[in-house]
Amino acid sequence: MLARSCLRSTRILNSARNGATSFAKRNASTSSSGAESPARLNMAAAASTAVAIGSVAWYYHLYGPTAQAMTPAEEGLHPTQYPWVHEQWFKTFDHQALRRGFQVYQEVCAACHSLSRVPYRTLVGTVLTVDEAKELAEQNEYDTEPNDEGEIEKRPGKLSDYIPAPYKNDEAARAANNGALPPDLSLIVKGRHGGCNYIFSLLTGYPEEPPAGAQVQAGLNFNPYFPGTGIAMARVLYDGLVEYEDETPASTSQMAKDVTEFLNWAAEPEMDDRKKMGMKVLAVTAVLTALSIWVKRYKWAPIKSRKTVYDPPKASKTTRL
Amino acid sequence: MGIWETFTDLVDAATPWSIAEAEAPAQEEQEPKNDESKEEESSDDDEEEEEEDEDEIVDPKETLEEELQAMLPAKHHFDECVERVTKQEEDGDAKEDCVEEFFHLAHCASQCAAPKLWSQLK
Repeated sequence: MLARSCLRSTRILNSARNGATSFAKRNASTSSSGAESPARLNMAAAASTAVAIGSVAWYYHLYGPTAQAMTPAEEGLHPTQYPWVHEQWFKTFDHQALRRGFQVYQEVCAACHSLSRVPYRTLVGTVLTVDEAKELAEQNEYDTEPNDEGEIEKRPGKLSDYIPAPYKNDEAARAANNGALPPDLSLIVKGRHGGCNYIFSLLTGYPEEPPAGAQVQAGLNFNPYFPGTGIAMARVLYDGLVEYEDETPASTSQMAKDVTEFLNWAAEPEMDDRKKMGMKVLAVTAVLTALSIWVKRYKWAPIKSRKTVYDPPKASKTTRL
Repeated sequence: MGIWETFTDLVDAATPWSIAEAEAPAQEEQEPKNDESKEEESSDDDEEEEEEDEDEIVDPKETLEEELQAMLPAKHHFDECVERVTKQEEDGDAKEDCVEEFFHLAHCASQCAAPKLWSQLK
């Protein structure tokens, strides 16, 4: 009722405004603007277009250009994607490469970098044999439990011991390396953007000389992949530095690749098992899915294939009373 | 695992001539492994070894990237920048550096070289 009365009141208002002359063409609502000239219409269109274009332009002037917090040099060159085999879904580590990589770590990296989260026992079966790992562990001395007199003696290492660090503590490491701390390599692949690609690029990316005009501080070396491009570590891998026991030619990139794969193993020793478990999960899930579909079809077959028929009783002329 | 291993264990225990390998069964396994790898190397790296006989080991990454850099347009930009900056340095202070040009060049070259490099490395 209320709505209807409102409508009626507007109609009355309109008719009052237009007067009696426009009463006849009340239904043609657009004809009321027909009196305006096309020049004014064109101006309105042009002005609105100008405002539209202007507002978009102003927006892009204000917010269009992205503000870079760092220069490319400060950010460092993003590492190239390399086709690592062990990163594929159904591939494992190449354990021959792990063996070579461990050799590179021992002979080159271990001089400055610790690998403090890796015990010798994890090397058994993946990188070394039991005897090799034991022999390696026995080359180092570790503290014993206090004896009867409370003295702590030294004993040769066991499989359960961790690989010893090259320095006693971080301060000693800094003091020996011109104030720069060589990071622990146990989780370095997980701990750096780009992972394996970054490590490989960093190790092989030292140019022969920094590009013209680049500022390299004293004691630092130019490496494009290191954020800031000034890295305290000098190039360490040179062709033929290591003699591989399997006689692989020890080029710089070969050594870098092997040691990177080894460091990835150190960071993710569970990877092979994890992928195996993933395969198991996929296989079992596939079997269960197929099974459940078959069981559903089996159970529903009588329900889906049944036919409901309504057979109406024949109308009889004789009604029972 | 499981049942089958118990059977093999029982057979091992019953046969006195079986070898008990408590700790180091690896030696036998290792030898064929090494042989295989040697064979692979000899087949894969024939060309490389021929080169190496004359000289030291050549890094495939460096050679590949050098070859690629010569073809890239980024190399041209980099060279031009180096020329400009060295001239500035001679005149006085260098106002710019070639780090970005170097980045572009290094990025292009290493990206193109990546698959070729991986096919050459073990």
